[in-house]
Amino acid sequence: MLKKACCYSTVFITIVFSQSALSDGLTIDKVYHPYVQLLETEIEYQFLHEQNANDEFNGRQRHKLGIGRALSDAFFAELSLIGSDNHGETIAVDAFEVELKWQLTEQGEYDNDWGVLFELEKEKSENSWETSVTLIGLHEWSDWILTGNLSLIYEWGDDIDNEWETAFASQLRYKYKQQLEPAIELYLGQDTKAMGPVLTGSYRLGVAKKMNWEFGVIFGMGSEMADATWKLNMEYEF
Amino acid sequence: MKFIYNLLIILPLIIASYVAQADTPIVNIVIRDHLFYPSELEIPAHTKIKLVVKNEDSTPEEFESYELNREKIILGNKQAIIFIGPLKPGEYPFFGEFNILTAQGKLIAK
Repeated sequence: MLKKACCYSTVFITIVFSQSALSDGLTIDKVYHPYVQLLETEIEYQFLHEQNANDEFNGRQRHKLGIGRALSDAFFAELSLIGSDNHGETIAVDAFEVELKWQLTEQGEYDNDWGVLFELEKEKSENSWETSVTLIGLHEWSDWILTGNLSLIYEWGDDIDNEWETAFASQLRYKYKQQLEPAIELYLGQDTKAMGPVLTGSYRLGVAKKMNWEFGVIFGMGSEMADATWKLNMEYEF
Repeated sequence: MKFIYNLLIILPLIIASYVAQADTPIVNIVIRDHLFYPSELEIPAHTKIKLVVKNEDSTPEEFESYELNREKIILGNKQAIIFIGPLKPGEYPFFGEFNILTAQGKLIAK
């Protein structure tokens, strides 16, 4: 009975927190898994493009370029540059981000796998900071994998209101084959309610070299956000 | 306030998921000269197993299997624990990422 309850706890987290996630701004990002691979180095590029009948959000783009390295078999650190491009303007770096992921449990040891992600972001030209701690949970049912990211966020600085927020992101993925896995993603925040299909996959490029890709479109629900956000994620692991 | 309330509901479930997995069968594999010994292993189906992989080579190896959804680096002259399953009956290939031409094996769940 207890084991059954544990098996469904990740689903429960999804349902409970979908009622209370409270983060503003663009919270569509990616859904993190809890694992860290010893000796792994990673270069990551992420691209988001918003589409909307309302001009306020139409054409807004976000680029993120990061490099990360496993510090041990439990910790992974990544440093990223974030740039934006509104309506065809020149892309410029406008924020820096540091991430530290901590794998809490061995994969498959318990009914759910757990990790924690710490993030710190600073706007380049403003005194505006954001820090967050994210609980990462993952559950496998045969060929299905459900991942949940629950974030507690604090924003502060002279150019931003000091406030606490929460956000939630989730991905349900089907292990079809290594090169192609269909998934569905859900994002919730104060001004964000969005869901959409994503395709993801992985290609081996040689000994200990791998390219992971992810492409999808997340549809906004409500007037506070873009009708659709296209997302592309490329990760080169070596 | 609602966040704290939700957290109080979820914490017991998180703790419950840490309940010890007693009586998990242990299976041993050795990596030597970039080969897995044994390269074929029979394991019980529908049962979680604890795979202890000992790398007797001086170089690192990565145990990898898409079918098992596992990927784990084992440093030279070290060992690692990989939890697998419960699996449906069938064959689950695995390989050594750093020596893919030689380091090949499979688990047979029966």
